Amino acid sequence: MLGLRERQTAPGSTKPARSGGTAPDGPPVDRRSEAGLDWLNFFTANLQTAFGPFVSVYLTQRAWTQSDIGMVLSVGYAASMISQVPAGALVDATRQKTRAAGAAILAIIAGALMLAFFPTLLPVMAAEVSHGFASCMLGPAIAAISLALAGRAAGAAGLRLGRNARYASIGNGVAAGLMAVVGSTLGARAVFILGAGMAVPGLFALRLIRTAAPADAPRTAAAGPPQPAREGIFRLLADRRLLWFALCCAAFTLSNAYMLPLAASEATASLGNDASLLIGACIVGPQIIVALLSPAAGRVAEQRGRRPVLIAGMVALPVRGLALALISGHPGWATWALIPVQLLDGISGAAFGVLVPLVTSDITRGTGRFNLCMGVIGLAMGAAAAASTFAGGMVADQSPPLAFLVLAGIGGLGVVLAAVMPETR
Amino acid sequence: MVCLALTMPVLRATDAPAPPAASTPLPKQAAAPAAPPPAKIAKVEANGILGRAVQGPDGHQIGRVVDVLVDGGGHVRAAVIDFGGFLGVGTRRVAVDWADLTFPASGSDADIKLDLTADQIKNAPLYTDQTKAAAVAEPPAKTLPGPQAKAGDPGQAPDAPKSK
Repeated sequence: MLGLRERQTAPGSTKPARSGGTAPDGPPVDRRSEAGLDWLNFFTANLQTAFGPFVSVYLTQRAWTQSDIGMVLSVGYAASMISQVPAGALVDATRQKTRAAGAAILAIIAGALMLAFFPTLLPVMAAEVSHGFASCMLGPAIAAISLALAGRAAGAAGLRLGRNARYASIGNGVAAGLMAVVGSTLGARAVFILGAGMAVPGLFALRLIRTAAPADAPRTAAAGPPQPAREGIFRLLADRRLLWFALCCAAFTLSNAYMLPLAASEATASLGNDASLLIGACIVGPQIIVALLSPAAGRVAEQRGRRPVLIAGMVALPVRGLALALISGHPGWATWALIPVQLLDGISGAAFGVLVPLVTSDITRGTGRFNLCMGVIGLAMGAAAAASTFAGGMVADQSPPLAFLVLAGIGGLGVVLAAVMPETR
Repeated sequence: MVCLALTMPVLRATDAPAPPAASTPLPKQAAAPAAPPPAKIAKVEANGILGRAVQGPDGHQIGRVVDVLVDGGGHVRAAVIDFGGFLGVGTRRVAVDWADLTFPASGSDADIKLDLTADQIKNAPLYTDQTKAAAVAEPPAKTLPGPQAKAGDPGQAPDAPKSK
């Protein structure tokens, strides 16, 4: 099905085919779908922000005990880890990826509202679990829709994924800023209502998208659901390229995940309450860089190959870790140097935002297992994030600069991994 | 909103009036362990403080109470507060001496006041482990202004904890 773009006519879609839609051949010109996908990325990015560390702040304000908060967050984390691969398999089995994405957005909106209006143990736990599962569906589903929309024209996938990362990062930055303002003026509950409200336009954006057949559809069964070939999964999981890439992503997250929390905690120790502004800049700043760089990351990945982008994203880590270690040793006004150093995170963010779906799509081409493999990568990154926080925290208890050096070292290891990883283009 | 417990009925076991069962001594062999008497209900002007906002002497809100530390004698010694951060990122958790907190009148949801500014507790050691002795931040000196040891010395100024 190379070069072929098909419109899916699923039983549920009552809308007649639009004349200006996807052409059966040639470059994709479906501007309406493209714009829908842009805004889908923009409006769903905030859902991750709202459910992040802010849940802990909110529940603390609701007079929750720290042990209950810890338990609920652990349950949410466990749910998202357990559901990574099954959620991916579910999306793979769904013919209409837009439906899967829509269901996931609805579930996440419901979870945010439950947090806002029923902040007691069981509803919050249910919200965390459903958010965990739904977000495991949403990310891969959006990527799958994007690849289907981009079609098989040379270089189209990278450009489309670059655009995704751009709009998602703008959405993230805007949401973080809005949430901070709303949280400090209207209270913590309003943050979740805002999060839910911001996701609603995402549902409308989703309706603008006309999906073509999934880009990873098996060649033999382009129109039907992928054949359930169980041994196919295991053959795919044994693919060395998938293993390499999962390792790269794990090394990246292991190095990256704890850098910002530790740097932010150091900033608070150094600047007191003034640090809030600085930390906000450290969170929003890199999103601006991602927005600027990710289209270029997608273009380079298509023209020069995945590896240069992977190496660039990875090299930013040890550089950042070393700079953070330096700043950590010099409290006071040097702390403001965190803002430019954190901008390096934008390089990594742009690279991995584009590469995770792109390389996964390379590896799974023609297998019908794109979303499952996205789940595998998500699992590797999720486990690495927890390990980063745990191990990083233990080292930081002894010496924060040492913790940054260790994280930088892991990032250096990641550079080596990226350099030897086989090209997947 | 914080869950306020004002004039909360409180169950007490110690000074409950002797119920009839206890006043008439029973033959020991007859009653298996006698059912404990029902608790007396008293009204106490007191509020919950978990999740309450804490304000520094400069009037700026600096954090929220997340836990209360008691010593072996049951005396409240310190409050654990989360302060700083942006949307939950970069928050620091430190323990501050209970004696340095001033509470609003019962029933008010005004901020709890702390005698320390954010600047004074920013370097205080992190409170991490429930099971270990906590390092508690105290003001440099309660009466004499002057630079002295300001944090983390449990041996210094063993103020008798005010019981409220």
